[in-house]
Amino acid sequence: MEKTWADRRRSMANYIRKYWSLYLMLSIPLAYFIIFRYIPMTYIQIAFKRYSIIQSPWEMPWAANNGFEYFLRAFRNLDFLYALRNTLMLNFLDLLAGFPAPIILALLLNELAFPRFKRITQSVAYMPHFLSWIIIAGMAKQLFAPTSGLINIALNRMGFDSIPFLNDPAHWVGTYLFLGIWRNVGWNTIIYLAALTSINPELYEASAIDGAGRMQNIRYITLPSLRPTIITLLILNLGHILSSEFDRPFALSNPLVNSVSNVISIFVYRYGIRGLQFSLTTAVGLFQSVICVIFLFAANALAKRFGERGIW
Amino acid sequence: MHKKRLVALGFTLVLLLAFSSLAAAELVDGRFTTTRKITVEVYDRSNPGGSTPEDNFFTDFIKEGMLRDHNVEVEFVAVPRWTEDQVINNLLAAGDAPDICVTYSFPTIQTYANMGGVINLDPYLTEYKELLPDLWDLLGDTNIYWSQDPDTGSVWAIEAILFQNKRINTFVREDWLNKLGLDKPTTLEEFEDMLRAFRDNAQLLLGEDADKMIPYSTSFDVGWRNDHLFTAFVPEELSDREMYVFGFDDRRLLYPGYKEGVRRLNQWYNEGLVWKDFPLYGAGDTTEDNMMKAGYVGAFMHNWDYPYRDGQEGIHANLQKLVGPEAAFIAVESFKNDAGIYRKYLSAPIDRKVFFPSTNTEPLASLLYLNWLSKLENRRFLQIGEEGVNHIVTETGAIQSLPVTGEKIMNSPQNIDYTIVINGLDLGDDSLTSKSIGLNYAGVDPRFIEPAYIITSNEARYGKNVQVGEIRAEEGMGTVLSEKRNNLLAQAVVAKVEDFDEVWERGFTDYLRSGGQAIIDERAQKYDEKY
Repeated sequence: MEKTWADRRRSMANYIRKYWSLYLMLSIPLAYFIIFRYIPMTYIQIAFKRYSIIQSPWEMPWAANNGFEYFLRAFRNLDFLYALRNTLMLNFLDLLAGFPAPIILALLLNELAFPRFKRITQSVAYMPHFLSWIIIAGMAKQLFAPTSGLINIALNRMGFDSIPFLNDPAHWVGTYLFLGIWRNVGWNTIIYLAALTSINPELYEASAIDGAGRMQNIRYITLPSLRPTIITLLILNLGHILSSEFDRPFALSNPLVNSVSNVISIFVYRYGIRGLQFSLTTAVGLFQSVICVIFLFAANALAKRFGERGIW
Repeated sequence: MHKKRLVALGFTLVLLLAFSSLAAAELVDGRFTTTRKITVEVYDRSNPGGSTPEDNFFTDFIKEGMLRDHNVEVEFVAVPRWTEDQVINNLLAAGDAPDICVTYSFPTIQTYANMGGVINLDPYLTEYKELLPDLWDLLGDTNIYWSQDPDTGSVWAIEAILFQNKRINTFVREDWLNKLGLDKPTTLEEFEDMLRAFRDNAQLLLGEDADKMIPYSTSFDVGWRNDHLFTAFVPEELSDREMYVFGFDDRRLLYPGYKEGVRRLNQWYNEGLVWKDFPLYGAGDTTEDNMMKAGYVGAFMHNWDYPYRDGQEGIHANLQKLVGPEAAFIAVESFKNDAGIYRKYLSAPIDRKVFFPSTNTEPLASLLYLNWLSKLENRRFLQIGEEGVNHIVTETGAIQSLPVTGEKIMNSPQNIDYTIVINGLDLGDDSLTSKSIGLNYAGVDPRFIEPAYIITSNEARYGKNVQVGEIRAEEGMGTVLSEKRNNLLAQAVVAKVEDFDEVWERGFTDYLRSGGQAIIDERAQKYDEKY
């Protein structure tokens, strides 16, 4: 029997009466996203308009070339192209070096025999995560500066030359990656350690009976069980391949290494916030977001193709 | 369309006139009949031991005076000195900028003006001229109309006046010269020999701390901090046209010959004469100052009175405390150009630029504020402070400043952060002023101030006012290009001697391609049109 319109309305009313409180609670995060995420997105139009400091974005005149003037300008701007290259390079290297690090650390921690030692190690390892990059940059100067840095002073006393950790582009990239790993490795193990606890202990018992060693356990039980977590995090990380942190490269950078340290966020800061070219930098920001979304979708599709669940 | 615009323009003008005559009518004996309120930018230098820049003894003096004389309430808005441009950008974009803003960069103001963010002062100056006698007395038409556009007549900013037109000095440790039996260097070669002598005698000069020896220190702002050396390589026959066309960069990067000066510094660096870590520390960092205070630095170039500033917190006072009473930096004159002249390139007698953002609804009250500051008795009090606290009057009538701590401390030399229409001491009487300058540095023997004062503008060539209207290519490029210049110079200095040319070429080409060439071309074209 087909439901009448009145029936449907009644069941709807029942449903709402029953669950209204849940919807009410949901309205708070929804309002948050609308006010702080979606309404600000209307300002993306600045990328297509001639920015004026005193007009609202709705009143600003359209930019030349059907509004795409600033995108063209960005791609004609060498600084932007270098920033694009540096962003991709630093993020890719970060992924290459930084992504496996917490997995390895989690596996090591997991093999530790004394629970108390494991807990202390874990806490110590994720402490640096709570330091801001400004503080880390200050520490880096104290440690790595060519004449007054602790490490170079020690090297000099031992008769070696200073290593230009911060003042040579190639070394700087290494320092940048190292500090990134140092800061985040402990924190990023948390999610892997959580995944490790959910592995069925019977698997290990069975393998022990079969005479498997530690390495074999890791290879045939632990890693395969971690696979979905690893894939999910990899997708999320790939979504960030073109996004760029600001404080990390900015705080660590100096005039000698800007050929590798100028990333997109620094470009935006320099041209937009300091040089008042807001239209240009909004265009750059929009471009960056679009690429990130494409990467996210592509990575997700790829993961599904390989039989994983993906993130949606 | 055109007609409409004209009508609108006419209407606005009528409104403006009506409004302004209304405002004038509201003044009785120079006081507004109803209390007005204005906000004023002030630099926050966050210096050690300083007072709150927006609320202290001197701001109270200004606030009380403005309320008493004009019935205007004044509120100060602190803006960090070292990130000033960014903060002002943000305040303007948010519509929160102070009614009276100050910056050193005219192109920045021009950029705001092109967006409609700045008030054109021209009509107000014409209208209210009789109400502003002190402003005219101090600045004259020259500074008030300095940056007037020759075509449109608009005045986006008033130029403050620079009394002692001083820029940079070369300082060396006097006690080290004495210990090594050296005379003050008077040529580039003698200066270099002196640096090498510092380096080679580290054990004698610093004892245990010999490995901390820095014969010559500089900072990330290579252009400013080596000006005397670099501009000594600029040929004497530089024309006025070249001075203008290549004058966009205030560190003179584009001047002919400059590169050879940088090459010399590069050689010093590679000889181990220069502080190796200089590029790592940014603006406002105190690492280098601390090394000077501790006595590790032999020579450097900086603002003409740099080591003598800041009284008890300054370099001179600390050096004497930490090293001994004989330790001191003294200014020397060592760098001649190709004609054998100790040439300095100094700006025209202009200083900061004062502008009113378009959110300013009190242009008259704001102009009266500038006039109030220009009044001799007011600016004199701000510059020298209270007798018996900030200064004493010597038998000759000269003003000698005293070291001050606590609430009556000045956060900037002669309170320049408040006296936004004037930079440099002016007591209203030239001979009194020059007598007082040597006594103006509390705790520093005038025998150090005098040579610094003379040398910094010795054989100087001053910039001229060139009014060619707006240079469109400069819009928004100021900070981008200064940063490129700093990077280029730092990289060229630390390059290997044999790589110097290559590093310079790469950086310089990038500078030109990123907007530098466009500015040069437009400046040249407009200059040739008008002159």
